[in-house]
Amino acid sequence: MAILVNKKTKVIVQGITGQAGQFHAEQCIAYGTQIVGGVTPGKGGIQMLGLPVFDTVWEAKKALRPDATLIFVPAPFAADAILEAEDAKIPLIVCITEGIPVRDMLEVKRVMNTSQSRLIGPNCPGLITPGECKIGIMPGYIHKKGKVGIVSRSGTLTYEAVWQTTQLGLGQSSCVGIGGDPLNGTNFIDILKLFENDKETEAILLIGEIGGDAEEQAAVWAAANCTKPLAVFIAGATAPPGKRMGHAGAIISGGKGTAAEKYAAFEKAGATITRSPAEMGHAVKKALEKNEGR
Amino acid sequence: MNLHEYQAKKILKKYAIPIPEFGVASTVEEARRIAQDLHLTEAVVKIQVHAGGRGKAGGVKFAKTKEEIASISKTLIGMKMVGPQTGPGGVIAHKVIISKPVEIAKEFYLGAIIDRDRASPILIASPEGGMEIEEIAHQFPEKILKIPFGFDGKLRSYQLLRLTKFMGWSGPLAKKGALVAQEVAKCFIDTDASLLEINPLVQTSAGEIVALDAKLSIDDNALFRQPEILSYYDPSQVSSQEAAAKEFDLAYIAMHGEIGCMVNGAGLAMATMDIIQLFGGSPANFLDVGGGASKEKVAEGFKIILSDPNVKAILVNIFGGIMNCATLAEGVIHACKAQQIKVPIIIRMEGTNVEEGKRLLKESHLKITPAEDLKMAAEFAVAAAKGKK
Repeated sequence: MAILVNKKTKVIVQGITGQAGQFHAEQCIAYGTQIVGGVTPGKGGIQMLGLPVFDTVWEAKKALRPDATLIFVPAPFAADAILEAEDAKIPLIVCITEGIPVRDMLEVKRVMNTSQSRLIGPNCPGLITPGECKIGIMPGYIHKKGKVGIVSRSGTLTYEAVWQTTQLGLGQSSCVGIGGDPLNGTNFIDILKLFENDKETEAILLIGEIGGDAEEQAAVWAAANCTKPLAVFIAGATAPPGKRMGHAGAIISGGKGTAAEKYAAFEKAGATITRSPAEMGHAVKKALEKNEGR
Repeated sequence: MNLHEYQAKKILKKYAIPIPEFGVASTVEEARRIAQDLHLTEAVVKIQVHAGGRGKAGGVKFAKTKEEIASISKTLIGMKMVGPQTGPGGVIAHKVIISKPVEIAKEFYLGAIIDRDRASPILIASPEGGMEIEEIAHQFPEKILKIPFGFDGKLRSYQLLRLTKFMGWSGPLAKKGALVAQEVAKCFIDTDASLLEINPLVQTSAGEIVALDAKLSIDDNALFRQPEILSYYDPSQVSSQEAAAKEFDLAYIAMHGEIGCMVNGAGLAMATMDIIQLFGGSPANFLDVGGGASKEKVAEGFKIILSDPNVKAILVNIFGGIMNCATLAEGVIHACKAQQIKVPIIIRMEGTNVEEGKRLLKESHLKITPAEDLKMAAEFAVAAAKGKK
């Protein structure tokens, strides 16, 4: 089970002939992911890693019937790559690319809002169901099949959390990096819902960071709907305010966006919180034990 | 990327947004020539820095004669402004903007930003201009109007009607105000802006609507398609460390503590700062070396961290994914040998090729303290920074 991806998931790679695309396609294959082909406009007909390359996603879809696409297209063209995948009705679109202009993402968001496809990212490490399928750039070996569902806005901080839960023997059901951009496809609540309904997931670890109010919204949702033990870490308690946002940004978030407020929201929701990034694994363990004690 | 007021005004001038006549001077001679060319007998002279609060800091002056335009420019050019937004080091004003004064009847606020929740650009307007938007929100929350608009940069006629009524504009004023709002929305989209603020937008006693000040910030990710704006980049407005970091594509933010941090990934970098604080230390900086950092980038990162005299220890925390631990180790060894680093270095690494990385560090015989995990790393770093005092 787990969520979104498993052994049967067939994946194509958009940008497979680029350096990053080729390297990570190879790594995913080594992990056991069913990578079935790739897309690079103008390179249709060639083979890469022994796999067929197509000019368009539409052709790849017709020939290979993939369930998911992994995007490594450079930032100036990445929004187009997402829109092309959506147009070809690929069910799961995972975009690793960092640095897509906000204006491009506004357009992508509008299309995704009414789409049957799901977008993960951009600017994310991807997702993995340990032992079955890795669609992303995370180091595979730090994962272990298990019971914790992990969702995060970060990349390397997620690896840290994964590593801690692996070392504690808890393992992971699935791990999803939803990306660090202000505008992304799938949000915390979408993934929490999936974990809540997944039999293999016994506890959830949510890793948030300062900015926006996605965490606060997730906390409200969790308070009302989440029956599974939830542990939370928020990065950025020491970050200086206002470094990224302009003046008017502060008013829109209405004072929201600090780590303190996000922690308060999750405390109110009854989650087990930790303020130490070294204790994320222990926090999940504690949340699980607390639940068993009930 | 932030722009100077004069740069923002140059851009706004291409749209139908009225701006008082102005010139930009970096020398007294230029100031004199501007006064001459624009036939100015009086003028507003403002320093050009990337920080708000210029008026309070004494960086805005009114010149009542032609001679004063020159003498005031002389004192303001080269002025160092220290304010809440500049950091303790302050910023130097290398240029001043010299503008023709207007008679103000009333001040308004008009701006545009991206609303993350709605995934939409929005126009923000208030009939209470002249003070900062945060203060308007605090004092008169009911006097702020937010209008979402499309990424085509167009406001619908009903939106404009709502805006003009809200601002209290009628007749010809409503027409002029609506046109400015429309152009602000268009300019915001065209320039890939993340913030465009006209504060104050004024109604003159002659019944015109004029942009007295302008603030424009552009989405860094979109600079590749904004060549004109990219050419406006002014490295003199950020700290030398931040300028150097930008050159090597490293994300660096200076803090006030004593433990220098080098981390890969923004989330882990923030978390590393957090844990330093939890253990009673204080971070000197945020530094994300990025996913695919090279040996040279790591070495440059060290150089930037060490240029901060407050740094008493360095904590390196790398979780190798795309980044290879051996590359990091090579970079650290290279930097240590080249720069003769005197402060203690604590390294915690995990992930791709970690064994090779650890072996390289061990065989280098450098004085580097390895840490097995994040907690240990923070403890060591805090202790090292304190021991040095």
